[in-house]
Amino acid sequence: MIALTIDVTLRQQSFELQVRDTSSVEVLGLFGPSGSGKTSLLEVMAGIRTPDAGEVVVDGRVLFSSSAGINLPARDRHIGYVPQDSLLFPHLDVSGNIDYGVRHGRAEGAHRSTLIDILDLPDLLKRRVQKLSGGERQRVAIARALMTQPAVLLLDEPLAGVDRARRDRIVPYLLRIRRELHVPLIYVTHDESELNAVADRVLQLETGRVVKAGPPER
Amino acid sequence: MTKLDAIVTLMRRLPIGVALAVVVSAAVAAQSPGLVVSVAASIHDALVEIAGLYRAASGVTVAVNTGSSNTLARQIVEGAPVGLFLSADELQMDVVEKAGRLVPGTRTRLLANELVVVVPADAPASLTLAAVLDGRVARLAMGETASVPAGVYGRRWLEHEGAWARLQPKVIPFPTVRAVLSAVEAGRVDAGIVYRTDARESRARVVGTVPAKDHAYLNIVQPAAVIAGPAEAEARRFLQFLQGPAARAVFMRRGFGAP
Amino acid sequence: MSTETWAIARFTVLMALVATALTLPPAIAAGWLLARRSFPGKALVETIVSLPLVLPPVATGLLLLWLFGRRSPVGQALDAIGIEVVFTWKAVVIAMMVVSFPLVARSVRSGIEQVDRRYEDLAATLGAGPFRILRTMTLPLASRGIVAGAILGFSRALGEFGATIMVAGAIPGRTQTLAVGIYTYVETGREEAAWGLVLLSALLAFGAIYASNRLVEARHA
Repeated sequence: MIALTIDVTLRQQSFELQVRDTSSVEVLGLFGPSGSGKTSLLEVMAGIRTPDAGEVVVDGRVLFSSSAGINLPARDRHIGYVPQDSLLFPHLDVSGNIDYGVRHGRAEGAHRSTLIDILDLPDLLKRRVQKLSGGERQRVAIARALMTQPAVLLLDEPLAGVDRARRDRIVPYLLRIRRELHVPLIYVTHDESELNAVADRVLQLETGRVVKAGPPER
Repeated sequence: MTKLDAIVTLMRRLPIGVALAVVVSAAVAAQSPGLVVSVAASIHDALVEIAGLYRAASGVTVAVNTGSSNTLARQIVEGAPVGLFLSADELQMDVVEKAGRLVPGTRTRLLANELVVVVPADAPASLTLAAVLDGRVARLAMGETASVPAGVYGRRWLEHEGAWARLQPKVIPFPTVRAVLSAVEAGRVDAGIVYRTDARESRARVVGTVPAKDHAYLNIVQPAAVIAGPAEAEARRFLQFLQGPAARAVFMRRGFGAP
Repeated sequence: MSTETWAIARFTVLMALVATALTLPPAIAAGWLLARRSFPGKALVETIVSLPLVLPPVATGLLLLWLFGRRSPVGQALDAIGIEVVFTWKAVVIAMMVVSFPLVARSVRSGIEQVDRRYEDLAATLGAGPFRILRTMTLPLASRGIVAGAILGFSRALGEFGATIMVAGAIPGRTQTLAVGIYTYVETGREEAAWGLVLLSALLAFGAIYASNRLVEARHA
């Protein structure tokens, strides 16, 4: 469970993103058509983009607050981010990508083994990232983000780069992360049906506004 | 290993490369400074020969720096570590003297020269000195008539002969006498004005000399002087050698006169 | 080809290597600043960085001659600690550095501009600070631009003439480079020796351009 306070105003070229929501969740689902501001909201949470006003609080930790003048840099936020296109580092192999976030590497060996096991990566470690399929890229990107033991994991359309047949094989990985690692997720998609299996609260976005909030319609 | 990997590896080793470069530079730096003589291009060959004689006689190595006289003068004025300056003319030596860089009393009228008019080897026999002065050429090559010594002298001579007005529009200026000579040799111009010493070993044909004794106003003297600095004493000894019989013989053989 | 010709070629290549190695760190810093940071006076810095590209090299040489000469504070300060620049190999290296710096910095800059900033942002979410991002993301991902810039700068350094002859002179065995040697040989009527140097220069230029073209091909592959 994680307590989230999201109160974000971000002026974009085409519209103004304005999201207000407070919740305690394990998996928060964000859904809406493309261009509704889902990715922008994730980038604001990760610290890649600075909102014009508002505040972002994760489990009592203030990441951003315009009234208090707080804007924690991305590297101090402990928020894992998996962008839609995975964005694996092209000059590093799979191991290099997974280990990028580890700087002291000592006590984290067990955590690393667990992740490699859960995400089924042992055969991929020495591979070049250019040789991976869409689903494999997603799993590596997820492992890379989780290695830093983030307070929350942001997933942007994790099934978008994966063909229909393999989608059903990614979802179990996500469920295992939630069940075994107890990492809260914020899960972004344009397909509401994906959320039914994983989310316990869903925000529906349209042109920057929340048009519906509540539990998923199962 | 792919190319990208190779490049990344190279980048990681960059600091080692820099360190290596510095070590190598330090090794190069171990050369001793010694005596540097800045010498006008027209005197360069003679001086290299004499420097060889000097090393045999005294064991001292002379480094020869060459270029156009005005570049050499500019370098000395800005403090280049030169011991001795051999200029193509008095004008550039004056520049150095005015800047206070000469050791007083060492300025010497070392060499004398004469102007000659040259034409391409395959030019018709009708192209004589008189024909050139008459303006029967389309293009006349000279050193730049304001700054290059041979050009300045050449213009003074043409003015004296009353030929400047008709030849001026035909003048093609060059940055050095050597470039004038090359242009004549290649037939790119119809005639050129150079020093006698330059024309001696050239394929170009000399059609006329401007004898120094008949044109005292030209006073083509190539002076030498010791430059103030740590190499002063060595420079004085070499200047003395340049005025001695061995060096004099080399200069004479190469066509230089004594002023 | 005479031993003298080879010695000049060896010296020139060595000096160009030293100049390239010393130019890279500041050129990378300048390229990164121009590609990734905005600051007051950026346009001015951009212009100054490119200046040696358009300034006649002889003018650059004259400026360097003045800067390191006995009349400028810099020259006097160096003189006071016993460092002589004018007419030494150091002047050769400095002249090469100044004229090749803009080429290297520009190439580095465009290399860095082509790096997707989202890699840098993502590295930050993984806890990397600005210096680690520069070292592990920006520079490796811009490596082709950096290496191409180094080759370009090296080639420019090999051919450097105008600035070198002003500030380093043309002293055989001490400051004489290929380009200066060709000029001196022609000036003093040693045409055959000049052609030897021309041939060597052409071969070196060919090698450097060939290498950089291969690199560009690799980028498109």
